[in-house]
Amino acid sequence: MLLHILNRSPATSEVYRQALSAMGAADRLLLIEDGVQGALGPLVECFGDLTGRLYALEEDLSARGLVPLCDASVVKVDVEGFVTLTEEAMRTVSWF
Amino acid sequence: MMRYGILLMGAPYSSQAAHSALRFARAVAGRGHRLEGVFFYHDGVHNAARLAAPPQDEPHLVDGWAALAEDHGVSLQVCIAAALRRGLLDEREAARHGKQGHSVEPPFELTGLGQLVDLGLRCDRLVTFGP
Repeated sequence: MLLHILNRSPATSEVYRQALSAMGAADRLLLIEDGVQGALGPLVECFGDLTGRLYALEEDLSARGLVPLCDASVVKVDVEGFVTLTEEAMRTVSWF
Repeated sequence: MMRYGILLMGAPYSSQAAHSALRFARAVAGRGHRLEGVFFYHDGVHNAARLAAPPQDEPHLVDGWAALAEDHGVSLQVCIAAALRRGLLDEREAARHGKQGHSVEPPFELTGLGQLVDLGLRCDRLVTFGP
């Protein structure tokens, strides 16, 4: 299982498509920095059905005032949780 | 306990990459892992700028990296090829190129790309922060 890390919003960059096409069936996707915009309402649909495998970094949501708008299907993790995700994954792949 | 490495490719204050990487680095060390090194590459080499003087009410990234090195024995490796062409020289390189003054000092060290390969091989996890 790999952890994919995405720092671009699907509203401004197409790189999320490459991340999705590279993801294996058990891989996880963590949204950080401007990528956390992908955790909101309509944009979250860009990621298809990643239920339980889509994460967003809480500090970056909070810095942008987006915590209340985060979709319920997205798992919020803080930076400690980020480290845990890297522990659990065999490798990490960053998309930017 | 796992061994971690970080690859940072974003310049300070241009993108969030350096802030993200430093926050992650502190969390890794805080959880008892061994952070072996941070490799600064591409525009990430600007994190090693000795003369950086951000406003006092903003995080000082260069000092933040130096503190990380001091507190946790993390090596701060700067790609020499990326650094020299951006005007980031340590004392030795400044003398070699006939430049007055230098812009990189310990705990940052100018190293080759081979060190990044070595970091990747030595560590259980290598996490990249791009611009």
